[in-house]
Amino acid sequence: MSARVVRLGLDWLVIVVALAFFLLPVIWIFLTSFKAQIEVFHYPPVFWPKAFGSFTHYSEILHGTGGDALEASAIVASANTVLSLLVGVPTAYSFSRFRVGGQHLAFWVLSVRMLPPVVSAIPLFLLFQQWHMLDTYWALIIAYLTFNVPFVVWFVKGFFDDLPRDLEEAALVDGANRWQAFTGIALRLAVPGIVTAALLAFMFSWNEFLLALFLTRSQVRTVPVALANLIGGHEIVWGQIGALTILAIIPTVALALALQRYVVRGLTFGAVKG
Amino acid sequence: MIRVPQESTGFANAPRLRRFRGRRRVPLFGWLMALPAIVVLLAVTVYPLVYSLRKSFYRIELTFSPVPEYVGIRNYVDAIQHDPRFWHAMERSLYLVGVGVTVELVLGLALAHVLNRIGRGRNIATALLLVPAMIAPVAVAIQGVVIFNDRWGPLNYVLKQSGVSHPPAWLADRTFALNTILLADIWQWTPFVAVIMLAGLRTLPGDVYEAAAVDGASRWQLFRTLTLPLLQPLIIITVLIRAMDVFKTFDTVYVMTGGGPGDATETASFYTFLQGLRFFSFGYAAAISYIQLAIISIVATILIRRMRKGLAT
Repeated sequence: MSARVVRLGLDWLVIVVALAFFLLPVIWIFLTSFKAQIEVFHYPPVFWPKAFGSFTHYSEILHGTGGDALEASAIVASANTVLSLLVGVPTAYSFSRFRVGGQHLAFWVLSVRMLPPVVSAIPLFLLFQQWHMLDTYWALIIAYLTFNVPFVVWFVKGFFDDLPRDLEEAALVDGANRWQAFTGIALRLAVPGIVTAALLAFMFSWNEFLLALFLTRSQVRTVPVALANLIGGHEIVWGQIGALTILAIIPTVALALALQRYVVRGLTFGAVKG
Repeated sequence: MIRVPQESTGFANAPRLRRFRGRRRVPLFGWLMALPAIVVLLAVTVYPLVYSLRKSFYRIELTFSPVPEYVGIRNYVDAIQHDPRFWHAMERSLYLVGVGVTVELVLGLALAHVLNRIGRGRNIATALLLVPAMIAPVAVAIQGVVIFNDRWGPLNYVLKQSGVSHPPAWLADRTFALNTILLADIWQWTPFVAVIMLAGLRTLPGDVYEAAAVDGASRWQLFRTLTLPLLQPLIIITVLIRAMDVFKTFDTVYVMTGGGPGDATETASFYTFLQGLRFFSFGYAAAISYIQLAIISIVATILIRRMRKGLAT
């Protein structure tokens, strides 16, 4: 009995050490967002900032580049999410119910998700340049379809697969047409899956950096690009960088905690039903 | 609104139903529904890729010769024969994939076993462990810049306090920088791998383990002969997803080292970015992105083939 207690204690020790290792960097940045410049460069490092709880850096960055960046990220990510769902959900249903194109087509869609962004970034840059679309919201909204449409198709397909077909078949027997069976039954039952897909697709757009770096300059600047610019700037104000970093990760961390059950499923495109 | 009866009788409209369930004939409706994503993907990926392939046979220097010049396969010959910097970048990307995915898998499996043993609190621990996976890689990189700073960063302070007299200059030292990038990836993704593996461990048949343990099998034997084979499909999926992702490593390099010191942390993606957005050699950048695509397609095809066997149930 006591050996078991010791084992459990050791297991918990491992968990606590692991949690510390994986969370301390986030906490450190959180503390940095309150630090005065002199505290950041202080040696030995200052753990607890004097001005903890004062949101000066937050309001400074929000009134500067950070506010615009958050707005741009929100616009791009929302518009892209809506489009990805409109395009992806019907295809997900079709793959799930009719196996259109068999496994080959479905895996082709999955393989698009695996495409390195730099491979599509180069032609998209040249094309958008020709069409005078560089540095616009549309450039990113369209470019992000490359990874979010395949994601939505695979993720939502998994939810349709889990739904029993009986209800739709019964509706067909009752004289409904296929479109009615889709919108009236399958779509409604899949709402939790579709909402989860929307949140995760939003997150993928929100976090994306490489395509944003290629396709935008000064008019449209998403949060990751703004952060990278701040780091590369002449005067690096760490408190503000910390603040914008925290503002950038708050929505995604909230998602992680809220969607816990679906995060693994989402990040594996529905392959692992955690 | 459609009225939904409690039980489907299935007699009334049998032929129509068979078509609905059937695999052979896809109704027109099925094709129409499949169209949106296929059309969009053709437009946003296939068309640009074809465009890019065409451009890879041209010399396009946006800076000094804006008029493209047809050069045949010379970009590819140059990349393959005369550009050691590109191949070093490829080597680094493959090194990150090989070492990173292995470390994440081993640590993830170990952590999953521990998580599986604790009862209460597992859900909270799992939720917290998933936090790094959700953070933007650029934000991870900013944490890295602060934590690995060799003058005022907290890591080297802790190391000095624990008796390491000369802790490394993580990001400024050629010999450490690439592994520091690797460390950022391991930090971000090990917990995610652990949570996947935990999901796998939870589905294992407990009674088989008990029987084997009664027969005197050691814990290591149980792991080798039962756990690993049973988790294999899951491991292959994880390796595939992680390998594709690590190969793209770019954000952390851009923010943490800018490819340096020297070219010590230039990955394939980063070098392609340099050729495109810094040197404006878009024809050449298109060619080397195609070489990368060919290499990872081969790796992915092998992995996906195995994955399909695992999934085809």
